[in-house]
Amino acid sequence: MSDQASRRAREGALDAASIRAVRTGHGANCSSIGSVIDTLFATAAVGTAVFAAVVAALQREDVKVAGGGDSPPPPLAPARAPSPAEPPASEGA
Amino acid sequence: VIVRYEPWGAWVKLESEAAIAALDRDGVRALGLDGGVAWTGDAPPGAPLEVHMAVTSRCGAGCKGCYLDARPDGEEPPREALIAALDALRDVGVFTVAFGGGEPTTRDDLDALAEAARQRGITPVLTTSGLGLSDARVERLRAFAQVNVSYDGSAETYARVRGFDGAAAAERAIERLVLAGVRVGVNVVLTRDSFPRLAATLARARALGACEAQLLRYKPAGRAASLDYLARRLTLDQARSFGATLRELARERGSPEAAHTLRPGGFHLRIDCALVPFLSADDELGRDPDRLARFGVFGCEAGGALAAFTAGGFVAPCSFAPATNLPATDLRAHATDPVLGRWRDYAAKPPEPCASCALRRVCRGGCKVVAAFLRGEHGPDPECPRVAAWEQQRGAPARQDAAQEQGAG
Repeated sequence: MSDQASRRAREGALDAASIRAVRTGHGANCSSIGSVIDTLFATAAVGTAVFAAVVAALQREDVKVAGGGDSPPPPLAPARAPSPAEPPASEGA
Repeated sequence: VIVRYEPWGAWVKLESEAAIAALDRDGVRALGLDGGVAWTGDAPPGAPLEVHMAVTSRCGAGCKGCYLDARPDGEEPPREALIAALDALRDVGVFTVAFGGGEPTTRDDLDALAEAARQRGITPVLTTSGLGLSDARVERLRAFAQVNVSYDGSAETYARVRGFDGAAAAERAIERLVLAGVRVGVNVVLTRDSFPRLAATLARARALGACEAQLLRYKPAGRAASLDYLARRLTLDQARSFGATLRELARERGSPEAAHTLRPGGFHLRIDCALVPFLSADDELGRDPDRLARFGVFGCEAGGALAAFTAGGFVAPCSFAPATNLPATDLRAHATDPVLGRWRDYAAKPPEPCASCALRRVCRGGCKVVAAFLRGEHGPDPECPRVAAWEQQRGAPARQDAAQEQGAG
């Protein structure tokens, strides 16, 4: 699938509800892991806007898979039906 | 976007915005991807998202609370060793590498190291004291996504935290970096002396052009692992007021909507993993772990989403913890290393009072480095207000912060 075709396939398919967590900013501390907390005190509308911005970026950008060492990233796989063994939403994020 | 599969879905790093996000499996499928083996069977724990790499243990600043006990004659690993370590980060899908030390700008190859990280798809960032940061050295920092300068406050406050007045040098460094177009943040160590002056410190940093402040809990490691720690750490009252202080700081900054989007601009506030337990005393945040999780607030991720590489080339759970025997180049064994596993296991299933705490899933049991220093073992963080109250209810003596505060003043 070409990059353009991949992007078209993604458009509209990604729901903000699938985003469990967003960590914004780069941070640059070398001793302990940091988390932006501005959004904790912002309005709900601001929080929604952040998640919408992430969705838009995900649909816009080309996709690469990390962790492959020197090997090229694997080809995009076709979408399939949701697994019945989905973990609870609280895990991992 | 760079995707890293996890058993529950994937972490994704955006390339057009400074953000990472956790996507569930449906979200990953919506990108046209499938997690494959990562979504089947007993997948091992994920690799770190962020690694803190000590590129030297040399430093002449002599900060009295240096967590590494860095010295002018410290170790400087060869570039080849650091490149091999960056290869190991790439191979497991680490998103961010934070170069530190010692004083990393004492190296003359930082630009090459930053470029090497970028070539491997890793975002390089850096922490510096800013001392002696010449224009020539600033030029070597252009490849970094962000540089944080240690800045605990104006002259007197800075000197109380570090033992010497380096505030003016730090301020010059911030200005030089901003002038060079480098994105700059400040690291502010919270002691009982710097905490009351925090609003003024942040206002000054912002006026100098910094875009972010990272608040750091003072930790008993390196030269700070001494009795003096007890007189310098935040008081229990200060820890209790931490959530309210953050709320007030957010209000003072005016909270412009633009500051909360992913776009550059505004002045952002970060807290480190060890400060999360203090939020347990906040009536609002302490009861809303979902809100903290949704906005990616991390508590203790030592041995999990966070790892540290020592200047000697070994993996540590975090920069404040002793190193394991795992070589940095073997980071793939992160999931099976028994020492790192012990840190993860504790955070996943801490004893009471953490077990019944609403924030447990985010906080992950508080700072183990503090607990180990004060109690000699992995255990609940004794400086967490909730833990302190729980222990006092069971007959433990109350902390004597008031007397210590007078002594420290």
